[in-house]
Amino acid sequence: MTEYAIDIVDVTKRFAEHTAVRDLTLRVPTGSVYGLLGPNGAGKTTTIRMILNIIAPDSGKIYIFGRPSNDPKITERLGYLPEERGLYRKMQVRRVLKFLAELKGVRGSEADRRIDEWLERLSLKTPEKDWGLAKIDELSRGMQQKVQFIGTLLHDPDLVILDEPFSGLDPINAQALKDTVVELKRRGKTVIFSTHLMDNAERLCDSVCIIARGEKVLDGIVTEVKEEQGQRNVALALEGNGAAGVATILRDHSMVKRADDQNRFFEIELAPGADPQALLKRIVDSGASVQRFEMIQPSLHQIFLQKVGATGVEEGMTGHG
Amino acid sequence: MAKLWAIIKREYLERVRSKWFLIATFFGPIFFSAIIIVPAWLASRSKATTDVYNTIILDATDSGFGHRLAVAIAGDSTNASRMPTVRVVPPAELTKAESTATREVMRKEKTGYVVINQQTLAGESARYAGTNATSIADMAQIKNAIRETILASRLEQAGLDNRKMKEITFIPLDFSTERITERGRAGSGMASVLFGFAIGFLLYLSIVVYGQTIMSGVLEEKTTRVAEVVMSSVPTDTLLAGKVLGVGAVGLTQQILWIGTTYVLLKLRAPIMAKLGAPVMNFSLPDISLAAGILFLLFFLLGFIFYSSLYAAVGSSVNSESEARQAASPLMIMIVSTGVFIQPVLLNPTGTLAKVLSLVPISSPIIMPIRMAVTGVPPLELAGSLIFLAIGCLAALWLASRIYRVGLLMYGKRPTMKEMARWVSYAR
Repeated sequence: MTEYAIDIVDVTKRFAEHTAVRDLTLRVPTGSVYGLLGPNGAGKTTTIRMILNIIAPDSGKIYIFGRPSNDPKITERLGYLPEERGLYRKMQVRRVLKFLAELKGVRGSEADRRIDEWLERLSLKTPEKDWGLAKIDELSRGMQQKVQFIGTLLHDPDLVILDEPFSGLDPINAQALKDTVVELKRRGKTVIFSTHLMDNAERLCDSVCIIARGEKVLDGIVTEVKEEQGQRNVALALEGNGAAGVATILRDHSMVKRADDQNRFFEIELAPGADPQALLKRIVDSGASVQRFEMIQPSLHQIFLQKVGATGVEEGMTGHG
Repeated sequence: MAKLWAIIKREYLERVRSKWFLIATFFGPIFFSAIIIVPAWLASRSKATTDVYNTIILDATDSGFGHRLAVAIAGDSTNASRMPTVRVVPPAELTKAESTATREVMRKEKTGYVVINQQTLAGESARYAGTNATSIADMAQIKNAIRETILASRLEQAGLDNRKMKEITFIPLDFSTERITERGRAGSGMASVLFGFAIGFLLYLSIVVYGQTIMSGVLEEKTTRVAEVVMSSVPTDTLLAGKVLGVGAVGLTQQILWIGTTYVLLKLRAPIMAKLGAPVMNFSLPDISLAAGILFLLFFLLGFIFYSSLYAAVGSSVNSESEARQAASPLMIMIVSTGVFIQPVLLNPTGTLAKVLSLVPISSPIIMPIRMAVTGVPPLELAGSLIFLAIGCLAALWLASRIYRVGLLMYGKRPTMKEMARWVSYAR
């Protein structure tokens, strides 16, 4: 097993109107859960499509498990769940799954066995009802998502690529997806998913890469990324609504670079050189009753906003990611 | 290769399993047979029907003319069932007899009645009234019978005996017709023209129907985003090839079933025509040599590849069925304009128009098989047509695969011609 499941070196992809990905270099360690984070239009989907060899980069190289990404044998080790989901509507569930399995080199009774196993595992096949015999468009939205998910994993891929996997999932399917990601990692598989939902990324990912406007902003192991950002954040909770004086203090840019009202507490990013103790003293002096004053690691969300900012959001030219 | 096979298999099985395929395959031969049987049946309508036997002859001549007319109408004196009813009436009671006969016709007991009187004997006039008065064939039959009977009685008066008279008036003329064109006698031309038309129509229909089938199949994969999943597993060229071959196989299956069942139905044509009460005409399909059969197949496959790959490109470049219809109109114009030329080519299969059209890949897959069906095509022309068509196919495939692989991933507004031209230049 190679060290890196994905090794992207200096990749650039231009479309007629703009550069979707510029000089991107990133490495996804084998066996990790990797988050590709970025606002809409940042180049996430383009990057994923290049990894999958759906489109070719204009320059640069992509290696999957040490082999060039256009090696036809590699595709059988990849599982892909696109952002916008859909299946052949008029086709029977089992036949769709069998077709997807055959495209990945799983054939005959082996494919049938795995389809049965998955349908039962996701309770699409019960003693009362076998949804495998129904047509896709007879299924509910949630069931269709399950079928699509089975299609992604049926051939037991070593690298699973999920493009915005949580969008449109109900809480139960989202939980099932999260459980599966954890299970895949436990079995030594590599999972890479793109998202703009930082909370999901923070909970699930070992490593992340933040990209904006087609360029990498930062990447690394989540814990290290947070440490690098330093202990410069403070969680502040006040009793009641807090005094008006506190609002003034939070707007003081000599002390506070940014204050994000999280409803139950403020996440405060200290200004460079500001002393947290001095901040605490001013707040107490203002007459507010402090419930919580804690040095915390910045959330990915904060890091993201700090690094990308509002200017990082650009209208997507390909329609998505 | 296994993946190409998986795609072909899916395209083929999903379509062959559909209800639409079953219905079309079942009704196709019925439709084609109807095309051939109905004209023959209509032609048979130009012969008099059995209605003429179920008539009344009101004879006011008092000369036995009515009985002789009845025999003439029946055409056979021994068959009592074909003999019209004869009523000899005094001239004074003719009006009353006519009223009685009219009521019988109104009650549908009889089809009509003929009135013969002294003017008839003089060869001046006769009258008929009945439900079939508009049937040209029936009226001609009755009129001829009356003339024949008048002639017979005049000959009799001139002193000819019965036997001699029959000898003179019996003229069993077999009037066969043959058409002469500028190429000389057409021979059994009708059959081969019909056959050529059937071939052309079948090819035309298949290309339109299955081209559009491919287009909406591609569009479905694009709008449901299945395309992305499939493209992550197989190269787009394989996907395109699999679609064209799979749907092409469906078309071929349907045609084989159509031709097979139509052939059987035509074999059973005689009993069917007999049931319809129409005389059986001699009608034989032209013999097709194995070589010609293979050439037909080749033209169908190449023509199909040419058009369906372009249809696939159109399907990949649009986002909805209504956009697809619009975007496919240039293709539709190409096919329909070829269809317009089918008849001129049938009439003059060796003319310059036919020769040119059978070299251009846009029209050759339809026009050349038609020419082959109705006339002998020199091998050199055949080879040229095939070579140009093959080149056209390669060009269409090249163009289509380039538009296809970019188009499938492009959502949003419909691309302009300029944008599509740029897609073609993309590396991938």
